[in-house]
Amino acid sequence: MNYRLTVNGRAAEVDVPGGTPLSDVLRDHLHLRGTKVSCGTGRCGSCTVRLGDRAVASCLLPVALAEAEPVTTVEGLSAPDGPLHPVQEAMVSCHGVQCGACTPGMVMTLSTFLDTTADPDAGQVREALTGNLCRCTGYHTIVDAALTAAAATRTPREDRP
Amino acid sequence: MTALSEPAARAVPATGAVGRSIPRPDAEAKVRGAAVYTVDLAEAGMLHAAVLRAELSAARITRLDTSAAAGLPGVHAVVTGADAPALSGMLVVKDQTVFAIDTVRYAGEPIAAVAAETPEQAAAALAAIELELEPLDPVVDLDAAVAPDARLIHPGWADYAAPVDGFRSGNIAWDARLEKGTDEEWSAAFAAAHRVVSDEFRVPRQHQTPLEPHACVARYTTGRYTVHTSTQFPHSVRSRTAELLGIRPSAVRVLVPTVGGGFGGKLDAMLEPMACLLARRSGRPVRLVNSRAEELATAGPRENAVLRLRTAVDAEGRILAQEADVLTDNGANSSGETVICAGLPALALGSTYRIPLARYRTRVVYTNTAPTAAFRGVGGPYVVFAQESHLDHVARALGVDRRELRLRNVLRPGEAMVNGQALDDPILIEALESVERRAPWDRERPATPGKLRGKAVVPLTWLTNPGPGEASVSLSDDGTVLVTTAATEIGTGAIQTGVRQIVAERLGVHVDDVLVSTPDTDAAGFDNGAQGSRTTYGAGNAAGEAAGELREQILRTAADMLEAAETDLEIAGDVVQVAGSPGASVTLAAVSAAAMWSSGPLSATGRFVAQPPEFDAGCVIGGLFSTINATSSHAHAAEVEVDPDTGEVTVLTYVVAQDVGRAINPAMIVGQVNGAVAQGVGYALYEDLRIGPDGRVLDRNLETYRIPTALDVPPIDLEILENPLPTGPYGAKGVAEPPIVPVAAVLACAVSDAIGVTVTDLPLSPFAVLAALRANRR
Ligand code: FES
Ligand code: FES
Repeated sequence: MNYRLTVNGRAAEVDVPGGTPLSDVLRDHLHLRGTKVSCGTGRCGSCTVRLGDRAVASCLLPVALAEAEPVTTVEGLSAPDGPLHPVQEAMVSCHGVQCGACTPGMVMTLSTFLDTTADPDAGQVREALTGNLCRCTGYHTIVDAALTAAAATRTPREDRP
Repeated sequence: MTALSEPAARAVPATGAVGRSIPRPDAEAKVRGAAVYTVDLAEAGMLHAAVLRAELSAARITRLDTSAAAGLPGVHAVVTGADAPALSGMLVVKDQTVFAIDTVRYAGEPIAAVAAETPEQAAAALAAIELELEPLDPVVDLDAAVAPDARLIHPGWADYAAPVDGFRSGNIAWDARLEKGTDEEWSAAFAAAHRVVSDEFRVPRQHQTPLEPHACVARYTTGRYTVHTSTQFPHSVRSRTAELLGIRPSAVRVLVPTVGGGFGGKLDAMLEPMACLLARRSGRPVRLVNSRAEELATAGPRENAVLRLRTAVDAEGRILAQEADVLTDNGANSSGETVICAGLPALALGSTYRIPLARYRTRVVYTNTAPTAAFRGVGGPYVVFAQESHLDHVARALGVDRRELRLRNVLRPGEAMVNGQALDDPILIEALESVERRAPWDRERPATPGKLRGKAVVPLTWLTNPGPGEASVSLSDDGTVLVTTAATEIGTGAIQTGVRQIVAERLGVHVDDVLVSTPDTDAAGFDNGAQGSRTTYGAGNAAGEAAGELREQILRTAADMLEAAETDLEIAGDVVQVAGSPGASVTLAAVSAAAMWSSGPLSATGRFVAQPPEFDAGCVIGGLFSTINATSSHAHAAEVEVDPDTGEVTVLTYVVAQDVGRAINPAMIVGQVNGAVAQGVGYALYEDLRIGPDGRVLDRNLETYRIPTALDVPPIDLEILENPLPTGPYGAKGVAEPPIVPVAAVLACAVSDAIGVTVTDLPLSPFAVLAALRANRR
């Protein structure tokens, strides 16, 4: 079957069985390997991408259901040679990254979450992160990064110190 | 020995690289999704491999026919035990083959592997392999396995090679003892004891669960294998793959892309030998990646164990003599570190407290279960859980305050640990005082209505892996510095920040100008791997020594160029200048160019291995390591609440004091402590890789094998203590491993305090806590 997707603003067409997980299409057909597949069963969140304005586990999403809305992966969150998205920037500066295997999923979950929750508290961030497992950091610095990114996003770039 | 820690070297930080919380330079690639992990690799013509694994945990193979599978479309190679008969083992007992040959010893053991053009074709080929198994009775329980009538899992055990003999028999893969004191002293101590307390503790398996599973891509050309793999220890993969394939180690080249976590689970060859065999047979690159289910069922976890402790104490709670009988589960073979760590329980029992007389025995036991392996802290977390819970039992039995009991027994500077090794610079008391300042023991805070509240405090001496390592440092044409090493960045920041900061500091250059190669066993010499907190310490020492020598070469060349004395020169960023007159300077790029056609390119190699401390060799019998290297002092304290209706445990406060020697990068240390405490909370409260009565792993996904989420990790209040180690780079000691070691102990002791009864089993699941409460009421 042929499927037409919009991924990171580009049109893409793939010929795969309709039940193929979106994560496989992204990684194996479109060569977007920033999206990781750590469990394949919807528990770890490392495969999180944005579908329209929602964060979804792409390992559970059949490609046939991804046609209707644009897909954004971690590679599409900021231009490859452009400045980082505020969440990416804060993950670096707050030391929210260790091995990095969870990081693309964390970044996609948090950037989507902050779009609808501009001024979260730490508890809300933790709730938002329950679908994303990290085995390295103990999460505290990732929560810091989310709060830092939220504050940075609320402050226009030119007003930041 | 490196001169790094000499005061002169430490006193003049030219750039201040050491001690700064610089962000890790690999973070940007990781947040962009641009970092390339082994699971992301693809090569032209690459085949996909899959492994046929035994469904039963004990069986005889009565038929194995792969001919139908080999003829299926897209299938390029099928390999079995007939292709790899050689025996190997992790450093000690050589009792492992790549595939089961004739006998299946654990569920999940590889039987055959295939390589095909697509994963679907590989799966079809597995289904077409004809395998018949005749079941045997699985041996699963540790006590049953060591009983005299137990079925032997390796009937040919006596024929296996081992470095020393006399410490194995039947289902006992290794038997290590530590004995201190004569029989007369022993009987006298028990006769004089005010009280003798006994306990039995049981702990389950804990799985490392790195988010990137084991994965590799192997190629074969003209007699050599090239393997890209996700490992913590490339030279171990090289030598173990070679031994399992019956070839020499130099025929295997190991390269390591970005590693998505390890925690001890990636120290050994696992998939690489199978991928190599398939690559050779097919002539194509072969990719092999564990599914999460394979990862949980077959990638060696922290071992389960049974610990029996008996301690004689005086009326004040001072330990007079202690006996321990520890059974640890090796699983079906010695492919993990469980045998090499057989000596650890004795050392962990006797390195924090004064143990005048000891009879410690650890037996590593074969069972029909997946082999066990290293996980951060190896046996430490359960040994310390048992010791501390037992000491709390002693305190309750005597009516002595639990913190006071620890103060009476904890080792002071100059005293010897149980192996007779002097504890040079313990600051256990300072560590206890640090947590006391932040969480006063006598502070009574009322429990939430309906809840039970408990607290605990635990001191700890821990070690740094002493293993050897080598690193080279060279000055590039543009004045930057390149470190070439097989030491591996697995996410801790030890290479990306620690080693780079040490090299920058030693040279006086900017840390941004220090680049580190990725591991390639053809390009870099031996390094003992990212284990036992050793990378910043061991690789840092080696790279630091090399940087010191390179610095001399640079100054010699610059002295000629500037017509100045070497002793008047200093490196400051990207120039060499005459100290005090910055006008007279040459760039490092110019130094590199000048050296090129005079002395030749500038480079140096450094090396390090820790020298073993003196100890009482007479007391250790069969221990494969007998001393504790580069000790550090720690204290953890926690306050918990238990809901007596649901059994749920909530960690209210968690306080840590950790002696790091010297903090090379404080932010990375915070990251290691946070991550280790989180893993310890998981181990204490719910991680339990369950083994069924038939020996099969029951937890095959992350729904049932639950690791901590963002809602589960308590706030962690850390004070970093700096107690420099004379032989560490700038005084640094190992950091990453120790903070997991006391966590289960402190949480179990706090829960015991809350519910008034010693908890003897981990994890402290709601069911276990309710059961303990009910037993106490009866
Ligand atoms: S890979 Fe999709 S949730 Fe784990
Ligand atoms: S940084 Fe390693 S899993 Fe999150």
